[in-house]
Amino acid sequence: MATKQKQQTLNEFDQPIKGVSLWMDAWRRLKKNRMAIIGLVIVVLYGIISLAAPILPIHSYKKQVIDHQFLPPSFTRTAGELWYERIENQLTAMANKEGRGTLNEDEKAQLREIQQRIETETAVINDETVMVHQRRYVLGTDYLGRDMLARIIYGGQVSIAIGLIGALTAVFIGIVMGSIAGFMGGKIDYIIMRIVDIIYGLPYMMLVIIFMAIFGRNIMNLFFALAIVSWLTVARVVRGQIISLKNAEFVEAARSMGVSTGRIIFRHLVPNTLGVIIVFTTLRIPTFIMLEAFLSFLGLGVSAPFASWGSLIGDAVQGMNLYPWRLFFPALAMSIFLFFMNFLGDGLRDALDPQSKNKL
Amino acid sequence: MSNDMILEVKDLRTYFNTDDGVVKAVDGVSFELHKGETLGLVGESGSGKSVTNLSVMRLIPSPPGRIMSGSVQFEGSDVLAMSDDKIRRLRGNKISMIFQDPMTSLNPFLKISTQLIETIRLHQGLDKEAARERAVEMLKMVGIPSPEKRVDAYPHQFSGGMRQRVMIAMALSCNPDILIADEPTSALDVTIQAQILEIIKELSNKLDTAVIMITHDLGVVAGMCDVICVMYAGRIVEKGNADEIFKDPKHPYTRGLIKSVPRLDRPHKRRLYSIEGQPPNVIDLPDCCPFHPRCEHAMDICKRKYPPLRSFGETRQVHCWLFVEDK
Amino acid sequence: MAANDLLEVKNLKMHFPIEKGVLFKKQVGAIRAVDGIDFTIKKGETLGLVGESGCGKSTTARAVAQLYSPTDGEVYFEGLDLCKASKAEMLKSRMDIQMIFQDPYASLNPRMTAGDIIAEPMTVYAKRGLLKMSKQEIRHRVEELMEKVGLSRFFINRYPHEFSGGQRQRIGVARALALNPKLILADEPVSALDVSIQSQILNLLDDLQEEFNLTYLFIAHDLAVIEHISTRVAVMYLGIIAEIADSAELYKNPLHPYTKALLSAVPIPDPDIERKRQRIILEGDVPSPDQERHGCYFYDRCPNAMAGKCDKHIPRLKDVENGHQVACFLYFDPED
Repeated sequence: MATKQKQQTLNEFDQPIKGVSLWMDAWRRLKKNRMAIIGLVIVVLYGIISLAAPILPIHSYKKQVIDHQFLPPSFTRTAGELWYERIENQLTAMANKEGRGTLNEDEKAQLREIQQRIETETAVINDETVMVHQRRYVLGTDYLGRDMLARIIYGGQVSIAIGLIGALTAVFIGIVMGSIAGFMGGKIDYIIMRIVDIIYGLPYMMLVIIFMAIFGRNIMNLFFALAIVSWLTVARVVRGQIISLKNAEFVEAARSMGVSTGRIIFRHLVPNTLGVIIVFTTLRIPTFIMLEAFLSFLGLGVSAPFASWGSLIGDAVQGMNLYPWRLFFPALAMSIFLFFMNFLGDGLRDALDPQSKNKL
Repeated sequence: MSNDMILEVKDLRTYFNTDDGVVKAVDGVSFELHKGETLGLVGESGSGKSVTNLSVMRLIPSPPGRIMSGSVQFEGSDVLAMSDDKIRRLRGNKISMIFQDPMTSLNPFLKISTQLIETIRLHQGLDKEAARERAVEMLKMVGIPSPEKRVDAYPHQFSGGMRQRVMIAMALSCNPDILIADEPTSALDVTIQAQILEIIKELSNKLDTAVIMITHDLGVVAGMCDVICVMYAGRIVEKGNADEIFKDPKHPYTRGLIKSVPRLDRPHKRRLYSIEGQPPNVIDLPDCCPFHPRCEHAMDICKRKYPPLRSFGETRQVHCWLFVEDK
Repeated sequence: MAANDLLEVKNLKMHFPIEKGVLFKKQVGAIRAVDGIDFTIKKGETLGLVGESGCGKSTTARAVAQLYSPTDGEVYFEGLDLCKASKAEMLKSRMDIQMIFQDPYASLNPRMTAGDIIAEPMTVYAKRGLLKMSKQEIRHRVEELMEKVGLSRFFINRYPHEFSGGQRQRIGVARALALNPKLILADEPVSALDVSIQSQILNLLDDLQEEFNLTYLFIAHDLAVIEHISTRVAVMYLGIIAEIADSAELYKNPLHPYTKALLSAVPIPDPDIERKRQRIILEGDVPSPDQERHGCYFYDRCPNAMAGKCDKHIPRLKDVENGHQVACFLYFDPED
């Protein structure tokens, strides 16, 4: 039986035929696109880090240590050293302003006290007693002394989640509305599409802001608000696909067999629109993240103690001359993600493009 | 039919780089075209007949295609080695092409007159008045009613058959030496097909234009062509005069093809002759006769090497091991 | 309807409305794709429906299969008028009427395996309780069908894009056979195939007809193919049947001027014959089917048109000799 099977998978020229599904085909094409693969790796990396955040060896994202305000990023020097240095610089600057060259007794005492605290002070963080001033802040701290690295990672969790859930919700609503409109046609199609047109014409941001204002500022409402207004393009695209597929011969064949409408939509039409849907979803995620960033920038995004990339950037704008790392690192993290997400989306679009292979 | 050779294609090879491998669409094609002659390139899908003509006109999209080797001698120079400028002056002027789908070959946004006049002025340097006159003359020649009025119409205002006539008018407007017709009637109804083929025949005789007709329809070939080249998997497997090929087909593929076409003039037989198997997938073909899996007379050597050329008289050529004595 | 008739079509009309307006649509005209045709198919017979583009042959098949709701007329299948049948009755009848489509690349769902495609009719009817087959039985039958149509059953899990055109068409044929139908409506099943594959599929259809005692409604535009496979042939033009006769009779003795022109236009693969042929070249193009006609549909292009008669009355199909029917005033006078 095994040899018979082997014989069958050779073509007439005695060359082995590799059976390949359309997905594997698309995967092969994707693999050839270097930027897309890099994008995939990076996006997956971001995903892993976001999911693993609770178990990563990083500082807490919400523990405030007021003494550690505005510390610059450093790999080697401890928080204590930097704090000391900062106070020292402050005092020296003040002394110079007053015309003295050296520090007076009070100031020296202040510094000695700080030195003492650095060597002995402990704090309880996450049920652990830590030598708080021995910590290292790899990406610096913010205005409340919170670790930037941790905040960026946790912020990433929130941003990526918003992107993903928002995109998926929008796509889901879009598929349902688009399929119904495309398949049913006639008046139903007309009505749905006019609803889409009307909502499309409304100022998007204003709707979201109003929604948030009415229903309160929390993450769930944020997802909701963004999703409700963003299903429009998906609906249009899916409708277009369904309309063009509706009259395909294989759908006619299904109807001539007495296949029910439901089965036609879910077994025949939707699977053939998946390619478009996947690409769309992937390219929507950056859009959602940007939207949320914008809202946070306006102060309407997530509220403390949660952070998103957008809120981090929003907080960092004031004082960005003095403490540039607060703006630079969140922005960099977000930009890299969006950049490679877009490459991945483009690569997926090229890979899933239904080029008919057999027409020479 | 005079003996002036106007086109000589020698050992043309055009390959395409695809995701799945190298497609040797045209793999060593050679033929000659004489003045006023009609040559038919017959083959099924994947035979390479269309790619051959696109290569002659250097219209191969590159990437993914590339003309690997060979020469196309026209008026003393090699078309494949010409500068882009020179070959643009050839196209539409000395060598014209008409395509299968008249819907997509004409620009839907431009009037017929614009498209016709553009070609005429480009190659013949006439002024607008004179070019327009010539355009109307051409439309009359191809049998479009009230040409003076219809010349200003848009493509969508013509039917399929009319559009194809307009294509022919455009192609012949500069009195080319060669007209390449790539399946000109495959998309048309049979009564319209008859009209179009009549026009092509009439005009090519009148203007002494040589025609390369690409088709899969043996009936069309029998009615239009003087010389026939039968193509299979990127190569010409048999060549000869139309009469010879139909009366005495030598290559098993040609024989099979002719036998398997249902004919109106023969009594209805219960079962049609059919060639087994399917046309080959041209990717990564090994060195062998590509027809061997479907051939009744396949021998061991057919699986191992491509058969060399065997000539019969001046005009007949076959590539088949059946006709080679010492293998 | 005689005892031996499987399908009887009476005055079938399929008009597609041309509508104007945005929300409240008004009908301003209609495309008369099928404009009143009558024909019968006996059990075991093959009726060939031939004509050029726009003649309505594909629409006829779809109207018979009730993929479109006919505007008028009756379609009797085994005594039941399909146009008036209830949903349940239609569902049952569909088991006996199956279709084969033209484009092997478009008639198979690219995301389903060959096995799933062939099994689908059985799966659907089993789910509805109209067919008692278990999953294993269905699978077994799929393999059986694949062998019957000449496909190796090892390809049961392959996708359509992995098959050639001819093989895909075989999948389509297997799918049509799945429910053991009595009538198969074949809409240009070989037109999109290579010449060397056409004869394979035609032979296959022939063999299957014999083995399973099938009845075919075979649509094509290639007259030679139709002549080969049909018992009777109907020539359509602009939505009506111009002539209908036994296959051999039609080709030996065409009566309608359109049939004559059609036959003379078909190229024959023989240079001698082609050289000596006198073709009847029709003037002009096929007119569009949106006008209501008061005279013969072929009047504008007919080389034998008789003014006063052909443009004022519509000829109906009339039996001229031994089942050879023609709709032309050359053979009878208009009745007033």
